[in-house]
Amino acid sequence: MNRVKLVLENSWRDLWGGDGRISMATQTALLFFLMTLTLTSASIQSYLADNLDQMLGSDLVIESPSSLTEGDEAAFRSMAVGLSVTQLADITMTHKEEWARVQLKLVDDFYPLQGNLQIGDTPVATQRAVSRGPNVGEIWIDSRLAIKLRTQVGDNLTIGGTDLRLSAILFHEPDRIMEGHSVAMRAMAHAQSLDGASINSSKGRTRYLVTADEKQLQAIEKWSRQTLPGASVIKKFGGQHPLASFWQRTENFLGLASVILFFMGAVALDMTNRRWLAKMRYRLAIYASFGTRTRTAMLMALGEWLAGFLLSIALASMLAIVAYGLIVAELQGYFPGLRASWHVAPALKTIGLFFLLLLALQVPSFIQLSRASLLSLIRNPAESSYVWQRLFWSIASVTLLAAAYSDNMLLTGMTLMAIAAALTLMVVLTWTVIRLGDVWGRRRAGLLPFAFFMMRQRLFAKSAQVMGLGLCGLLLLFSLMLMRDLGTTMEGYGRSHDGNLMIAEAQADQVDAINIWAEKTGSSVRSMRPFVSAQLVSVNGKALSDMQKPSDTLATLKDPIRLSWTDAMPKNNRLDGGKWWSADTDNWRQISAESEVMTDMGFSYGDTLTYQIGGKPYDFKLVASHAYQPGAGSITFWFQVPLSARAQIDAPTRYMGSMELPEPAWDALAGLWQQYPTLSLVPLQELTERFDQTLGIVTKVTGGYAAMVLLLALFVLAASVSGFSADDRQKNGLLMSMGLRESDCLRLNFYDWGVTALIAAAGAIAGTWSAGLLIYQAQFNLTYNPDILWVAAMVFAMVATVCLVGYLACRQSLKVSVRHLMAT
Amino acid sequence: MPDTIELNSISHHFDTASERIELFRDLSYTIRADETLAIIGPSGAGKSSLLSIAAGLEIPAGGNVRFTIDGAEVDALTMRANSGFIFQQFHLMPELDAIGNLALPLRLKGNRDAFDIAAIWLEKVGLKDRARHRPHQLSGGEQQRIAVARAFVAEPRFIFADEPTGNLDRHTSESVAALMFDCARENGCGLVIVTHSRQLAMRADASLLLDAGQLKVAA
Repeated sequence: MNRVKLVLENSWRDLWGGDGRISMATQTALLFFLMTLTLTSASIQSYLADNLDQMLGSDLVIESPSSLTEGDEAAFRSMAVGLSVTQLADITMTHKEEWARVQLKLVDDFYPLQGNLQIGDTPVATQRAVSRGPNVGEIWIDSRLAIKLRTQVGDNLTIGGTDLRLSAILFHEPDRIMEGHSVAMRAMAHAQSLDGASINSSKGRTRYLVTADEKQLQAIEKWSRQTLPGASVIKKFGGQHPLASFWQRTENFLGLASVILFFMGAVALDMTNRRWLAKMRYRLAIYASFGTRTRTAMLMALGEWLAGFLLSIALASMLAIVAYGLIVAELQGYFPGLRASWHVAPALKTIGLFFLLLLALQVPSFIQLSRASLLSLIRNPAESSYVWQRLFWSIASVTLLAAAYSDNMLLTGMTLMAIAAALTLMVVLTWTVIRLGDVWGRRRAGLLPFAFFMMRQRLFAKSAQVMGLGLCGLLLLFSLMLMRDLGTTMEGYGRSHDGNLMIAEAQADQVDAINIWAEKTGSSVRSMRPFVSAQLVSVNGKALSDMQKPSDTLATLKDPIRLSWTDAMPKNNRLDGGKWWSADTDNWRQISAESEVMTDMGFSYGDTLTYQIGGKPYDFKLVASHAYQPGAGSITFWFQVPLSARAQIDAPTRYMGSMELPEPAWDALAGLWQQYPTLSLVPLQELTERFDQTLGIVTKVTGGYAAMVLLLALFVLAASVSGFSADDRQKNGLLMSMGLRESDCLRLNFYDWGVTALIAAAGAIAGTWSAGLLIYQAQFNLTYNPDILWVAAMVFAMVATVCLVGYLACRQSLKVSVRHLMAT
Repeated sequence: MPDTIELNSISHHFDTASERIELFRDLSYTIRADETLAIIGPSGAGKSSLLSIAAGLEIPAGGNVRFTIDGAEVDALTMRANSGFIFQQFHLMPELDAIGNLALPLRLKGNRDAFDIAAIWLEKVGLKDRARHRPHQLSGGEQQRIAVARAFVAEPRFIFADEPTGNLDRHTSESVAALMFDCARENGCGLVIVTHSRQLAMRADASLLLDAGQLKVAA
C-alpha cells in the first residue's frame, strides 16, 4: 500500500513540473481529439443501425440503374411474398417562373410494402398516415419543394408535358433510408401518371422493395447478383446501411488527420520523455541504493506513468463529452434524430489503442530504465542517447497507425513521404550548418563562433529540437496553406469556369432543343462532350461488389459512371502513362483511366475492365492513363475509350457541357425545363452555393483541425524550451561567472534559437513545398502555386515566435543568481 | 557467525579505445558485518570499483565473490537487498523534504510506520527542526547527515560509503564520520568506506591500502 501511495505521490509531484504538465497536456489533447471523434462516430454508426431497422420499408431492397425485363420481373415476383417496383429520376420541376431540381419517385399500387407514408395538406399541417402512394394523375411533393416552387395543394404541376394535380404535401417515406444522406427535394407520383420515356436519365434508378422469408431472401439475393450485376442490395437483418461505408471513409480520413496530430504529439512527448528518463534513472538508482530490486522499481516507474495516463483519460473524457454534445447538436442538421449517448466499448477501444501507441513511444525509455544502475551514482558511465531507437519506435508506431487508418494509400504515402523528406533535409541542414559554423568559428573570437561551438557539442539534442520544431512548422504551414488555397479556389471558381450554366446531363434530342433555345435567347454553348452511362462491374473477372476496401473511388465506381469516347487526347487532359490509341483504330476494346483512379483501385495496364452498359457487359483492356490539366475547360472523364467503340455500344448517348447565358435568358429557362424535365442544367451560382455549403463544412473541420495543430505546436515549442532550460541555466551561469554580461548571454541565446528556428523553418518550407507539389494536384485538383510573400511572412512569424519564446525563457533563467546557476 | 563478503583472488580492469587499464589483480579479503573497514589509496587506484564489486554491483573480471547472510550463501541481488549506500554527492531526492527522503527506504519496503521511524532518526541526527526542508535548503553537512540516516534507517547488513566526506569541510566531516561509525556499531552493521582521508580511515576497525593493484593492510 505504501508503495502504491508512493507511486501516486511521485506521479502527482512530477505532474507539477514543467515537463509533467506539457506531457499531460499533450496526452490529454490527443486523447480528447480521438475520444471526441470516436464518440461522434459511434453515435452516427448506432444511428445508422437503428435507421436500417426502422426505415428500410421492406425486408430487402434492390436498387439498380437498369430495369428488369418483363420476364425477369415476373420470375422475381414469383420468388417473393410481396414486390413493389419504384423508379427514381432527377428532374427539374417548374411552377410559373420558379424551378427546382427534384428527385422524383414513381410508385406502383403495392408501394409501400411495410410502414406508412406521412402526408399533410400544407407544409405546416398535422401529418396523417396513409398506406398507399398517390393515385394516377396526382403528385405529392415535400414541404421544402412546395415553398421553393410557391405552390399549394390543388395546383397543377407540369412534367414532360403532363399535368399532375398536387394533392398532398409529402413528409415521410418508409424507404427513405435508401436516399442515403441526400437532402435533395422530393416528389412522388404514380408510375402510370407519366410516360416512362419522358423521365429517362443516366442517373435513373429502379428500386425493388421486397418482403420475403429468410430462405426466399437468400435465393433472391443470389438471383439478383446474376440478373442485375452492379445492383445494390440492402437487407434489413445482417445488412449494412448504405451510408455506413461513406461514414467509414470519413472516419478514415479523420483517422489520417489524427495520425498527423499524433506525430506532433509524439515529438512533444519524446522531448519531455528524455528528461523524464533522466529523472527516473536517477530515482531508480537511488531506490537501488536502498536495496530495492530492479523489477520492483520498474513496476513503480510503470505505475507512475500509468497514473499520469489515467489522469489524462479522466480529463480528456470530460472535455470530449462536452465537445461531443456540441458536435452532435451541429450534426443533427445532417442526421435528424441523432442523439448523444454513451458508447463505452468504442471509447475503451480508442483508449486502449492510444495506450498501446503511447506505450510504443515509451518502450525505448523503459528499456533504458531497466539498465539504470546504482553505479551511475558512484561514477559517471558513458551513456548512449538511444536517438535511433527512439526515432525508430516513433516512426514505426506512427506509420503502423497511418497504415491501419488510411483508406487512401496515395494520400498517406504522399504525406509520409513529404514528412520523411523534410526530416531528412532538416537533419542534413542541422549537421552541415552547425559543423560548418563550428569550423568557421574555430579561429575567430566573439559570441557567434562560441554559439556554434556550443551547438556542435550537443548536435544530437539540437537535431531532435530542430526536427521537432520543423515538423510542427511543416504541419502547421501546410494546414494553413491548404485552408487558404481552398478558399481562394472557391472564390476563383466563378472566373475560371467556362460559362455560367453547366449542362450536367442532356439527351441527344435535348441537345438540339438546347441549341435552338440558345440561338433564340442569345446564349452560347461553350462545350459539349458525349458519354454513355456505364457501370464497372468487374476487374479481371473479379466482381466489384466483392471488393471491400474502404475507398472513395471504389464507392463511386459502385454506381454508374460516365464513359466518354475520343480518338485525340482532350486538350484538358495529358497522357500520364501507357499508350494512347491511334486515331481510327479498329481495336475498340481499349480504355484509358484517370491516373488517380488507377492508383487508388490498384489497376495495371493490361487489366480487363468489364462494364455493364444498357444491360449488356462490355470488356475493355486498360492501355493508358490520363490526368487533368487546367486551361481548356473543366469537363474531364474518369474513363475514355476510342471513338470506334461508340458504334459497338448499344446505349443512348448523353451529353455534358457548359453554356454562357445573358441576363434575360435566365427567365426563359423554365420553358425549356417544362418540355424536358430530365434536362439537368445547373447554374454556376447554384453550383457555387453548393460548393459554399461544402466548403463551409470543410472550413469548420479544417479550422478545428488547424486549432489542434496549433495547440500541439505550442506544446512542442514549450517542451523544446523547457528541455533546454536546465542546460541554458548552467551555461548562462558559467558564462556570467566568467565575466560575461546579461546582454551577452541573451545574444548568445538569440544566436542559438535563431539558427535552430531558421533551419527548422527551411525544413518546414521544403516539406510544405514537396507536400504541395505531391498532394495538391493529385488530391484536391489544385495547382500548387506558392505565394512567396505569404511563405516568407510565415517563416518570419515562425522564427520570430521561436526566438521570442527562447528570449523569454533565457530572461527567466538569467534572473537566478550565479550561485544558484552554478549549483544546478 | 556474522554475515560476510568474501573476495577470492579478484582481478579487474577496464578498456579504453586504445588500451586496457589493469586496476588490480588477485586480491583476496573477507569483509565481516561486525567490523568497519576503510579502503584508502590514490585516485585511479580502483577503490570505487573494488567497492562496487564488494557490494555486488559489478562482477569482477577474474576471481569470485561470495556473499553469506545468516549463514547461507546468497546471490548479489539478495546482497543488494540487504545493503545501504552513502555517496559523496549525497544524492537526496530533490523533490522530497528531509523526512520524506528518510522515510523513502522504509516506504519502499512497505513499512507502515515509515514516517514515525524517520522522525526518530531525524532527531537522532539532530535535524528534527529541518524535517520539512528540501535538500536545496540544507547545507552540505546536513544533507549528508540525512543521507547517512537514510542508509541506516532500513537496518541493512552492510553499508557502502563512497568518499562520504569528500564534499565536506574538516569539522563537518568529523561529525558525519562520527555519526556513520556510531550508527554502524550501534546497529551491528558492516561499514565499508572508500576514502582519501587518513583521519576517517583511522576510525575504522581495519584499514586497507589499495595501490598499484595491490591490497595491503594500512599502517
